[in-house]
Amino acid sequence: MSEPVMQLKDVKKTIGNKSIIKGLNFDIYGGEVFGFLGPNGAGKTTTIRMMVGLMEMTDGDVIIQGQSVQNNFKGAIRHVGGIVENPEMYPFMSGWKNLVHYARMMPGITEERIKEVVKLVGLEKRMKEKVGKYSLGMRQRLGIAQALLHKPSVLILDEPTNGLDPSGIREIRAYIRRLAEEEGVAVIVSSHILSEMEMMCDRIGIIKNGDLISIQTVHDALQQTDEKEVSIEATPVDQTMVALQEMTGKEVSRKEELLTFTVEKEKIPSVVADLVQKGIQIYSVNVNRSTLEDKFLDLIGEGAIE
Amino acid sequence: MSNFFQLIKNEHMKLYNQKATWIMAILLVVSIVGIGALLKVDAAITGGEPPTGDNWKQELQKQNEQLMAAGEQPPEIEYPAYTNVEMNQYRIENDLKPTAYNSWDFVRDNRTFVALVSLFTIIVAAGITANEFRWGTIKLLLIRPISRSKILLAKYVSVVMYALTMLLALYILSFLVGSLLFGMGSFSQTYVYTQAGEIKDAGIFSFTVSQYLLSFVELIMMATFAFMIAAVFRNTSLAIGLAIFLMMTGSSIIVFFMEKEWAKYILFANTDLSQYMSGTPFVSGTSLGFSIAVLAVYYVLFMALAWGFFTKRDVAGA
Repeated sequence: MSEPVMQLKDVKKTIGNKSIIKGLNFDIYGGEVFGFLGPNGAGKTTTIRMMVGLMEMTDGDVIIQGQSVQNNFKGAIRHVGGIVENPEMYPFMSGWKNLVHYARMMPGITEERIKEVVKLVGLEKRMKEKVGKYSLGMRQRLGIAQALLHKPSVLILDEPTNGLDPSGIREIRAYIRRLAEEEGVAVIVSSHILSEMEMMCDRIGIIKNGDLISIQTVHDALQQTDEKEVSIEATPVDQTMVALQEMTGKEVSRKEELLTFTVEKEKIPSVVADLVQKGIQIYSVNVNRSTLEDKFLDLIGEGAIE
Repeated sequence: MSNFFQLIKNEHMKLYNQKATWIMAILLVVSIVGIGALLKVDAAITGGEPPTGDNWKQELQKQNEQLMAAGEQPPEIEYPAYTNVEMNQYRIENDLKPTAYNSWDFVRDNRTFVALVSLFTIIVAAGITANEFRWGTIKLLLIRPISRSKILLAKYVSVVMYALTMLLALYILSFLVGSLLFGMGSFSQTYVYTQAGEIKDAGIFSFTVSQYLLSFVELIMMATFAFMIAAVFRNTSLAIGLAIFLMMTGSSIIVFFMEKEWAKYILFANTDLSQYMSGTPFVSGTSLGFSIAVLAVYYVLFMALAWGFFTKRDVAGA
């Protein structure tokens, strides 16, 4: 990865005596989908609002394409497209007029470009309708269209799948992946829905109480250790348990007929072959994938999610 | 500068795509036509027929004599709209023939509807920023490569343009409806009025225009006040409520504090500049220059508050 598209440098926010954001430092690169994960109230939205200049930073700076949000807001924000919280549009105007409204606020957006964006989000047939009649999914798509008008290099989407049905979520996910992979856009997505983030993001920053406690690549988060937790259902159970203890040299836990142990991934086939050779009957072998959710809960502790 | 023009276009698009804007426009039209119809039906309100024949001077002279002879008792007179002896005399001396109630008189009477235009402008001024917060669209509006100041200025200019449009509509519609119902008056018509006990005359067109413009001063002060409250508190209802309340109670506030030394510094003691045209100001110690200075100070204060809060404060919350 080359130069970062967006850099957060010791970004802090204090309201009254309360420190809301305690100094965030991270870089975001073109072509990646960066997930911003944290429980409600952790500071996700506050951080996003500071990135786009809706809130003032108490300290630190956000650099977008080399331009400081603090010192050169106009220069920095022209590279950013975004939806902050809900995709709120003017309900009394048509979808088209809503897009024209935002297009007028940035230089050099032609009618052709608006049409292009409309096509990209698949709203061609609904452009004359008032936004008040749109479903949430359609508004979300119009919101993305609005954010893409000026071909931004950073796309910031706060809770983009909020309130969407499963097919809508899948669509948005596909758009986001395509934008990152084909257009090289850096996409920042915030969410508190873990499984969602897992499917969409390349890297995930986990925020808790205004602190960035970890940044993980999704690949890492799922396969950080080569050791896997494996469950085997086999008879006779006692004989299997002894055999497994011998083979792995580790503890094997038993829950009724199910035996659970840890072993390196490469060794699983040989373990199974050995058991078969000993005349043990195997009914099932499962690798217990440690999901992001476990990882997340490990990191922030149970009970942190409302 | 070109993107400022685009912002103005945006504000107009948003304003005129809202039903409320059109309902207000329709209300204004209905009010003008309604009052016109009422005046047409009840001729007594418009003062009946004036003496317009060739011998109008003799008729007015006769009425003057009747009026003076009657003393305290209101006499049975022919022309109830011409009871001011001095004014009648002034007309005779200056050869200013009375005219029947026509479109100009209707325009002059309809100056009272400037209050309605004020009301609508307050609603627009309060909504133009506060509604963006209510709709949540402010977040998308402010993440553009345009300064907050410029966005707010575009909104303010749009409010002033709306007020001028409505005022112009009131003036022209009154003239047109007046022409249809009462007959079109001549542009060379002269209007006779008293100012500070002195009788004066002026061209009816310039007189009515200056009257409307004087009302515009008060209108714009209240609209700016509502605009400021909306920008500071980001709440449409609060801004509308407060501005209308003050507009309604302004004169009572003056009466209440009349005796106080500082009464002349109250905004409402100075908003009606036509008080200096008619002679006696509400509060002693004021003059046209003084009032303009006080208004300017209030205006700058309102603007500074609106700009200060809108450009500095965080956009937080849902």
